[in-house]
Amino acid sequence: MTHALQLKNVRKAYQEKVAVKSLDLEVPKGSVFGLLGPNGAGKTTSIRMAMDIIGPDTGEVLILGQKTDKSLRNRIGYMPEERGLYQKMIIEELLVFMAELKGVKPAESKRRMMPWLERLGLGGLHRKKANELSKGMQQKVQFIQTLLHDPEILILDEPMSGLDPVGTNVMRDAMIELSRAGKTLIVSSHQMATVEQMCDRVVLINNGEKVLDGRVSDIKASYGKNTLVLAFEGDGSFLKGLPGVAAVNDHGRYAELKLGPGADPQAILKAASDRLRITKFEVVEPSLHDIFIERVTEVPA
Amino acid sequence: MSRDILVIAKREFIERVRTKAFVIGTILGPVFMAAIMIVPALMASKLAKSVSITVIDAEGSLRTLVEDSLRGGTGTPEAEKPEDPMNARPRNVGTTQFVIKPAVGADVAAQREAAKKAVLDGKLDVYVVLPQDVLKESKAEYYSKSVTDFEGIRAVDRAIEKAVFAKRIGAAGIDPAQIAALTRPLDLKRLRVSEEGEHEDKGISFFLSLILVMMIYVGTLMWGQIVMTGVIEEKSNRVVEVIVSSTTPRNLLFGKLVGVGGAGLLQFGIWILGLVGVSAASGSLAFLSGLELPALNPVLIAAFPIFFLLGFFLYASLYAAIGSAVNTIQEAQNFIFPVMLPIIMAMVCWPVVMRAPDSTLSVVLSLIPFMTPILMFLRMSVLMPPVWQIALSVVLTSLAIALVIWIAARIYRVGILMYGKPPNFPEMLRWVRHG
Repeated sequence: MTHALQLKNVRKAYQEKVAVKSLDLEVPKGSVFGLLGPNGAGKTTSIRMAMDIIGPDTGEVLILGQKTDKSLRNRIGYMPEERGLYQKMIIEELLVFMAELKGVKPAESKRRMMPWLERLGLGGLHRKKANELSKGMQQKVQFIQTLLHDPEILILDEPMSGLDPVGTNVMRDAMIELSRAGKTLIVSSHQMATVEQMCDRVVLINNGEKVLDGRVSDIKASYGKNTLVLAFEGDGSFLKGLPGVAAVNDHGRYAELKLGPGADPQAILKAASDRLRITKFEVVEPSLHDIFIERVTEVPA
Repeated sequence: MSRDILVIAKREFIERVRTKAFVIGTILGPVFMAAIMIVPALMASKLAKSVSITVIDAEGSLRTLVEDSLRGGTGTPEAEKPEDPMNARPRNVGTTQFVIKPAVGADVAAQREAAKKAVLDGKLDVYVVLPQDVLKESKAEYYSKSVTDFEGIRAVDRAIEKAVFAKRIGAAGIDPAQIAALTRPLDLKRLRVSEEGEHEDKGISFFLSLILVMMIYVGTLMWGQIVMTGVIEEKSNRVVEVIVSSTTPRNLLFGKLVGVGGAGLLQFGIWILGLVGVSAASGSLAFLSGLELPALNPVLIAAFPIFFLLGFFLYASLYAAIGSAVNTIQEAQNFIFPVMLPIIMAMVCWPVVMRAPDSTLSVVLSLIPFMTPILMFLRMSVLMPPVWQIALSVVLTSLAIALVIWIAARIYRVGILMYGKPPNFPEMLRWVRHG
């Protein structure tokens, strides 16, 4: 099976800093792939190498099994983390221009853009200049720009950042639809919670190195159900002192308790219900967020 | 050539041409140039100055001679000379028309008193007093509320001098008419020698070709700066990353140069058409009839776009490299001066080349690529150089452009994705080497 994107042992160093150290990455065709990691982990550098914006110092980048070239790049849609449009351009002309660079004829891109504008709540605004739109609207325009040439692969760097809750939903629905249509989605983010429900596979990177790689379900399963979620009324500050509780993520009326080895969830429930009114109790798999924090903190660099 | 270059050039061109600044500049340019040509000519015909003058003659025999001279019978020699081309002062500007007012009073003292009163009352502009011993001492007096009308004072001076000379020559027994014929003022015509024959150069058409040289200078810097601003904008609003994910930085740079250069060329084209149009239409426009408007050398008009583009590509690619390396226009200021230096040097060399357009120094200077756009074009407007020199300068500059674009593209490629502290020159050189 050919992969949509492969990075083979790529490395990229800037003058004083190594951004990516020997990264291997395989994105199966048609998957929703999460490239996760904190700020400065090397996500954007990896993506820029995938887009051939910068060349790797060593290693190899393959798009759909081949070395990248112009015609291959026309089959990718790229939305960088730093958003921006030509502020003085009219939206319609802006989209036509960007699509033309990807080899789409102006008449064709005009025809294609209308349903998308409509759908993302920008209907009737195509003759407005970019600087007349709000930031969120501009971001949606940029999303349309990313997919107007009907790419097989979409690389979205922090697609949700800067969107309001409604915008986030609209974006997520659009992404799901594209995935169902058989596109490969590569989503990079440091907000793991928003991406983990959507992705089939993830790679977690930190300090330019891969920390985790695999199917989301496999990764979570390997960590077991070691997290206890409690919702309660009362003062839960004593929870972290209970035997068997390794760490507490206390939200006030809601807490995630990470259990130590051999801890008994029932004993903890009992101890907690003595002093609190428990409204919810559940033993769950850890979130990617927790797994990531654990992986990054347990292995000091 | 990649199709992307055309797509980018088209966008740049349309965006530039659409701006208000472009539209206004394009319209105002010809208006401004027409003003340069027409206003002096109009001034010449409308602004002749009238000065009332009284001649008080204590010597007794000079008055009519002086008055005749002032009236312009045999004329005020100064005003009859053709315009001075180097100052581009059209004919008769500042010509003084004297209105003679007879002296009032029984004797010289009374006349002086009356004239002084008339000047103070504003009824008279000037009175001159010719003392009794004027023929011997060669001294006379000019009275007016202000003594800064140099043109008028010189005319008065000449008129008195002429009368005094005539009187002295007459006293020596020579016929004044014969003297007048013998000492007729000289009219030095300026003629340019060329293959097509000699023709009189009115000076002002030369002046116009200098305007073209200035246009190349200003245009190169202005449109170069526009390229730089565009690059900085693209970088600061982060559009550039999307574009270089679709095409190469080299294509982006080249498309930008072609598009912006095209916009500049369009504006200059409209200006020059306007210029030629005004010249051509001057015959049929009633209020311009009789005015002599200058004509431009067609060879220069044809060469203008070539030399403008040479200058533009050379400097604009450097401007683009600067723009890519910085984040704001303020940061760019530190880098601009070294880039502008050669073209400023060319402007400094201007007088040298104009004085001796075919000297070895001028030839060498005009063949230096960074100076060619200004100095070769200047030489062409002063004294058409041999064709091989023009061709060589174009070839050398084109080679320099290829080199500069190659260097600029390497800086550009690294620079557009660099944010934060702008690099220094050694760092940029490293980008060029490793880019």
